[in-house]
Amino acid sequence: MTYLPLWFIPLFPLIGTILLGTIAVVSSGAKKGPSEGLVGTLAVLFPALSFAVVAILACTMPEAGIRETLCNWIDIPLFRADIGFLFDGLSRIMLLFVTGIGSLIAMYSIGYMHGDRGFARFFAYINLFLFSMIVLVLADSLLLTFLGWEGVGLCSYLLIGFWNQDIKNCKAANKAFIVNRVGDVGFLLGMLTLVTIGGSSILNYDGLAAFIKMIFGADMVSEVVIPLSLAGILIFIGCTGKSAQIPLLTWLPDAMAGPTPVSALIHAATMVTSGVYLLARLGLMFSMLDYVLLAITFVGMFTALWAAIAGLLQNDIKKVLAYSTISQLGYMFMAAGVCAFDASIFHVFTHAFFKAALFLGAGAVIHSLAGEQDMRRMGGMINKTPVTACVMIFAFLAIVGFPGFAGFWSKDLILERIFVSGPIVGPLVYVVGLATAVITAVYMGRLIIMTFFGKYRGSKESEEHIHEAPAVMLIPMVILAFGAIFSGYLWADSIGITFFRDSMASVVGPAQALYASTNAVSHVNPVIFAALGTVAALAGMFIAWKVFIRARIIGVKGASTVPEGSAASWTFLWDYIHCAFIAGVNILAWFCDVVVEKVLQAIQWTLAAIVEILGDGASVLQVRKVRLQLAFSIAGVALLVMLVVFSGGLV
Amino acid sequence: MLLHLLVIAPFVAAILMVLNSREDSSASSRMAILMGAAFTAMSVALIVTGNQATTPMEWFHIPGTRGPVYYYLYAHGLGTWMVFLSCGLSLVALISARCTTGKDYRNFAIGIFALMGAMNGTFLAADAVLFFFFFEAMVIPAAILIAGFGGEKRTTAAMTFAIYTLVGSAPMMVALWYLLTIADNFLLLSMAVAIQSLPPYQQDLVLLSFLLAFVVKTPIFPFHGWQAITYSEAPAPLSAILTGAMSKAGVFGFIAWVLPIFPMNLNYISGLMWLGLLTAVYGALMALRATDGKRLLAYSSMSHLGFAVAGVFSLSEAMLPAVLVLLVAHGISAGVQYFLMGVAERMTGTRNITEMGGLSGKNPVFSFLFGTAGVMALAVPGTAGFVGEFTVLLSLWDLGPLPALVGGFCLILSATYVLRFIQKVIFGMPAREYQEGTRTTALEGVSFGTMLALLLAFGLHPAFVTNSLHLFDEVATEETATELVEEVAEPAEEHLMTAEELRELDSTLAASGFSEEERKALLTQIQSIEKVDSVEVQDSTEVQDSAVVQEPAVETDSAAAQVETPAVETEKTEASENE
Repeated sequence: MTYLPLWFIPLFPLIGTILLGTIAVVSSGAKKGPSEGLVGTLAVLFPALSFAVVAILACTMPEAGIRETLCNWIDIPLFRADIGFLFDGLSRIMLLFVTGIGSLIAMYSIGYMHGDRGFARFFAYINLFLFSMIVLVLADSLLLTFLGWEGVGLCSYLLIGFWNQDIKNCKAANKAFIVNRVGDVGFLLGMLTLVTIGGSSILNYDGLAAFIKMIFGADMVSEVVIPLSLAGILIFIGCTGKSAQIPLLTWLPDAMAGPTPVSALIHAATMVTSGVYLLARLGLMFSMLDYVLLAITFVGMFTALWAAIAGLLQNDIKKVLAYSTISQLGYMFMAAGVCAFDASIFHVFTHAFFKAALFLGAGAVIHSLAGEQDMRRMGGMINKTPVTACVMIFAFLAIVGFPGFAGFWSKDLILERIFVSGPIVGPLVYVVGLATAVITAVYMGRLIIMTFFGKYRGSKESEEHIHEAPAVMLIPMVILAFGAIFSGYLWADSIGITFFRDSMASVVGPAQALYASTNAVSHVNPVIFAALGTVAALAGMFIAWKVFIRARIIGVKGASTVPEGSAASWTFLWDYIHCAFIAGVNILAWFCDVVVEKVLQAIQWTLAAIVEILGDGASVLQVRKVRLQLAFSIAGVALLVMLVVFSGGLV
Repeated sequence: MLLHLLVIAPFVAAILMVLNSREDSSASSRMAILMGAAFTAMSVALIVTGNQATTPMEWFHIPGTRGPVYYYLYAHGLGTWMVFLSCGLSLVALISARCTTGKDYRNFAIGIFALMGAMNGTFLAADAVLFFFFFEAMVIPAAILIAGFGGEKRTTAAMTFAIYTLVGSAPMMVALWYLLTIADNFLLLSMAVAIQSLPPYQQDLVLLSFLLAFVVKTPIFPFHGWQAITYSEAPAPLSAILTGAMSKAGVFGFIAWVLPIFPMNLNYISGLMWLGLLTAVYGALMALRATDGKRLLAYSSMSHLGFAVAGVFSLSEAMLPAVLVLLVAHGISAGVQYFLMGVAERMTGTRNITEMGGLSGKNPVFSFLFGTAGVMALAVPGTAGFVGEFTVLLSLWDLGPLPALVGGFCLILSATYVLRFIQKVIFGMPAREYQEGTRTTALEGVSFGTMLALLLAFGLHPAFVTNSLHLFDEVATEETATELVEEVAEPAEEHLMTAEELRELDSTLAASGFSEEERKALLTQIQSIEKVDSVEVQDSTEVQDSAVVQEPAVETDSAAAQVETPAVETEKTEASENE
């Protein structure tokens, strides 16, 4: 049976990028921007086409997946890499929601970016982002994944700094790129470690699986486990950068400086989850590395807890959501840390819906308030923007894990898997995870209450302008809200639906079986976890209701309505630790510039001065008396002759 | 023929430029650009047609040496690509300079053509003296151009540049001369053979003087004193050529001359690798603090070339293609960055990046090109820079994790300074009011766009570049290997006379009526010749082996390192036993 070629999937956004980029550059000189209708149509059309291809392939895909090698990329001694694509259960689910949600958010952006001078440029970037993200997910080797990996980082940089007239946005963009670069170097070195262990073919995912089978077959596990652990740790550093985990989490809150659809698409639904994707993709390797897994679990746990607490203290609506994203990513890493890759990807999947819905809702609120992001100046919006409010409340119920909503299924699944993973660590992490769920409900409840309930706290004149978002923005929001409610039913363990797990079993199954074979897994009734999760959600919502519905929130006056782009906000001191590193580099640079460079110059000057002085001295001999000159000449010739004679003649 | 054209014709072109009127810059610029395009086309033809050589011609005879100096050119993968860089960048420089040099365009073009000829000669010369001649000749037109068209401190810059680089290569001249008195001629192989006959300390001395010339040219810390002022004071199109093509002469010298001549005595390998890494970090740190845009690019260039030198002296199997791709990528990306910086300087009237800003709103096309060029300099995957840096990192990782870690640190630093550069120049609001100069012209835009497209093409399909190194073409290696074996084996077999053959000879001699004594004398004579011959044959093969193959040296090094570890272990066990 023949399938549609896989390269169709990235091709469409690439065409979109080129077309829109050309339009953007050509029209940039003109007084009036290009037609928004045309640009908007193109911008949604290409991602949608890509989604259609993915959907067709998803239905016709065989169990083992489709593999396609396009051409050779690098071919030198010691190293060889091909450009090839791999479409299997894992990349299928990722691609479905990347292209699907990507198309929806592109559509939403038509309304959100209406009237912006960089309209075409924005959609060129969005298409470039989708292209890179598709390459990241669809690649069949680590090196090609890395191409997409840096590509999405680049697009993230471009889009965070989209309104580049404001230097604060640019600084936030720079921060995002540089922090990600630190992670990327980890990824790069991790790849190099792998190459030294198993040659360049190991970078291919199939090659890696074959390699691991080979070492199990040859019983050489103990010999390669240390270099493999090193590779695992380095690649995990890459994942912490892209997925904003400790210690590289500081860039994500600042990244909210970009337009809100960007935050929804890149910094909530797709790009930041690529770290989780990579862990699942390399599941077989990670399942051998017990200590690395332990590190991943704890990093995920601390990040989840930490970001949830930080989320409690934010006043900027987008920052709350940013910390909430970090916290939810922490859950996914916890799951990956106990080798529950299907559960972590399931949470990626449901999270993409409800977090995108939350962000788009927040975007609609900001849009209706003409750019206001401070929750202290909102309130009572439920009457003015009812659809937005409903969407956000559904998504809120999903994120806190209210029974029946998407987050309920995926989060409880993760907590269950963590609990049963081991004797001591499992319950400990479980308790922290449950506590985090309570806090999640509190800060999300606070967000909903401060935005939609109570009385409007902004200025009188701005109140009159509040309006519901246009249909082009509402339709994607409503679709996502449906996803936030129902996407969890793809894998509802308690009522016996395991469709999602089965669809991925062929990819992550071996890794999880390997892990399960070494770690005792006791079976516990899933209903207990569901009940505990429900209690946590309800408790959190109750606390939020009690505390915030009556709290007098003082509307700030006079302060800037625009959130600060790169101010060191509350990332549990990690910003300060990063600053210490930066200061170290700056001091080093200062030392090079002011001390070393000057010393070198001084040495140069000294040499030149000595030569000059000698030259001055020699010019004294240049006298005008002919006889003296002649004497010098004769003496010189005599000296040369003697030299020649005594040294044994010419060569 | 192509080789002769590429080396000699630029000088002819320079002379032809004199025919133009000094006043009318449009006519002279058209002629210059046409000729530049012709040279670029020729360099592309050279890449396409592959490796070739001219017939050696005797040029002159240096008294006291044993052989003549040849005018002998040959193109191998590395040199070919450097020639492409020199021709292509010169063409773009000629295009870009139209807006800045004004009436003096004719003289500028004369200088550029002379520089191009000298650079092509450097990259194509097969004879050491010829190479050195061009290597020094490059400095003169460059210095004159700086002095004539540079910024405020142009005379200082020109003097610093000329004196520093000429003094740096003076020891090499002496060493070369000394080598010439013992070598048969000045081609690579005979020099490599000759160096083996010297005592070790003299070999090291000669090696050091060679290294110094290239280290200064590259430049490597701490010999970079001339670089920042030269690149920042030179007119931007010239800076682009200097960093994109001329500075490559240093790295080229390491690969094409130092490694083949001194395969046995590279005790400085690891030292130079570390010096390269130090340069990479130092350059990046200096770029982090620079406020002069051209100075920033100069340090960034220094950082990248330091990285390339570290890659060269990692001496791994992947070194040559890795470094070649890195050099080509850096040549194009640094070149286009300099050109764009020149445009920015022209438009805003300053080189100080803290006084720029906001160009993205005013000049979107320029900003698009500038931003793209910056991103490509970051070695984002998919661009040629990534392939180069990744493979060089791979070579460094061969030596151990620490060099690769330092390399990775450089990657982070490069992101930092490039992003800062982009932000200061095109983002934010304009820092001050200014009279806007000439914007990017269409021809400029197209040529910069082409350079960026080339970077993408080489990044996605580096085989364009690496295939020109036929070193690892399997068919070719097999052919040469069998040829070598045949060459070596056949004469040896011819001379070996078996006992049977001797007996036959003896009988034929007896049959033709020679006496007993006569026959014995003849046979002993034959046998003695036989011995000498076979010994000689063995000798020559040994020498050939050592000269042609450089890897064994490296392998033995690593083998030695491997041997060391067990030794340490045994010591440990002994110690524990003693306890």
